[in-house]
Amino acid sequence: MQASQPEPLALDEPLILPFAPEAVACGFPSPAEGYWSGDLDLVQHLVRDPTCTFVWRAAGHSMTGAGINDGDLLLVDRGIDPVPGKIVIAVVDGEYTVKRLDVIQGRTVLVAENLDYADVVLHEHTEMSVWGVVTWILSPAKTKRGVRPRL
Amino acid sequence: MTTLTPASDQIALVDCVSFYANAERVFDPTLHDRPTLVLSNNDGCVVAACPLVKELDPDIMGKPWFKIRGWCQAKGVEARSSNYELYGSLSARVATILGRFSAWQEVYSIDESWLKLRGAPEELESRGQEIRRTVLQLTGIPVRVAIGPTKTLAKVAALGIKKNPAFNGVLDLRRFSEEQLDRILDSLHVTDLWGVAGRNGKRLAALGIHTARELRDADAKWLRKRFSVVMERTILELRGQKCIGLETQPPAAKDQLIYSRSFSRKLTDPDEMHQVLSIYAQRVSARLRAQGSVAGVLSVWASTGWADEGTVPHSAHRAVPLAMPTDDPIALTKAASVILPDLFPTAGIRYARAGVVLTGLRASDGVQFLPVFQSEFEDRGVGKVLDEITRKLGAQAVGVGLGGMKTPPAWEMKRAMLSKRCTTHWDELPVAVA
Repeated sequence: MQASQPEPLALDEPLILPFAPEAVACGFPSPAEGYWSGDLDLVQHLVRDPTCTFVWRAAGHSMTGAGINDGDLLLVDRGIDPVPGKIVIAVVDGEYTVKRLDVIQGRTVLVAENLDYADVVLHEHTEMSVWGVVTWILSPAKTKRGVRPRL
Repeated sequence: MTTLTPASDQIALVDCVSFYANAERVFDPTLHDRPTLVLSNNDGCVVAACPLVKELDPDIMGKPWFKIRGWCQAKGVEARSSNYELYGSLSARVATILGRFSAWQEVYSIDESWLKLRGAPEELESRGQEIRRTVLQLTGIPVRVAIGPTKTLAKVAALGIKKNPAFNGVLDLRRFSEEQLDRILDSLHVTDLWGVAGRNGKRLAALGIHTARELRDADAKWLRKRFSVVMERTILELRGQKCIGLETQPPAAKDQLIYSRSFSRKLTDPDEMHQVLSIYAQRVSARLRAQGSVAGVLSVWASTGWADEGTVPHSAHRAVPLAMPTDDPIALTKAASVILPDLFPTAGIRYARAGVVLTGLRASDGVQFLPVFQSEFEDRGVGKVLDEITRKLGAQAVGVGLGGMKTPPAWEMKRAMLSKRCTTHWDELPVAVA
């Protein structure tokens, strides 16, 4: 899969802003003026391109070593190249699975990051396609009591 | 007789291939190589079918579900209820991506966009392939790119792409010589053309005009007199002269909003009708707030089915001028209930559909009242809170009055084979096995 990044065409005419971006105040100028550009935008931080980002849910324990716990939310970007090493949503025999994509001794392998689970080694007759690349794992912080740091 | 000018702006029609069926496939790998069809509201009849289904039955479109159900099972055809949330979400993504390929875009329908492109035929065909690859990779939706000097000719190119798989989903009509184009237009009946209504086919035939080529070479001014300016435009467009522009301005806020539905079963109970109308009023008031308007008049109607022989035919309609233009769901829900005394005037009535219409709309920020005219709910922000909750948890999560029922009411639209609304509902996310 080759990611294609179209460039928007330039408009023939320049865009002209019809108004000044800041109000002209008559009183004491705000010391923050010129520095304010909005609060942190979490979506902007997490989502590279909203047109090809989807939210998935992980079910199962095969990827706990990669920080994916049962029930976690996954941000999945279809515009990123699924190169070996990436965590991907893959379609194997008509089922969606989340695993780490790798190539071992010339074979494509969907690696489970939990020793209790087997890797999926792809043979010629197995149909596999990559649906998208996982870019973020959203796990809720767990509530726990009685945890003491070790000295 | 006409050559298509090689330079200048070209019009590309980008349309999604079997959009509903392919939208279903994005989140369901089991459908990938299976014939798939989509049913209308209430699982009534077939509204979309992928080519695999059409191979099995070319006349499948519009057939009622109850008649083909057994056939589908026997043939391994997968059926789905229409999942408009999913289609809308994917359609918006596709349209946004297409907009990156051109500064001029007209989103024409849920699965079609017009783009203006500039370049030689080979260049535009390779750009067309790039558009296909990009949209398919980013959204999973396959598209076709049909290019021509005018909208009408781009539609001709689209017919060519559908007929001939060798074009691989992209065709610039300018790649053909004059003679080839003549032959293509010879092979098309006038009613195959975009903008030529079926009923005009016979009238044109009476004048000796049968094919698209004959129409192109006919006297445009004379046909305008016999038909209309639309026919003249079609002729000029076939000659490569742009007459139908790109409507790139976003449509203005709607000046009326309608929420009307047919029920999944006929309603005979006044309480249920009350519930229906309060829910419809709330749904339409959510749309009103979404476009930032307030309404001056609420109309509400209900009627029996026109072909329903099991009912006394009845319909009722009421319009309520609102004391002050408002977007308040409580005020609108109350207003919708004015029709209730008019319903069920005699025994033996069963209603099939109802609707709530808001008119006299204007921008909400221009509204200024004296406090004495303000609705008692106005500044409590009830509408905003409702919208916030329904956006997060779905349209049935919370409601006012009888609209606030937890379980979906029995008359709610039947969508028995609805796939998950993967991109719009937190509790219906697609699941990957870890």
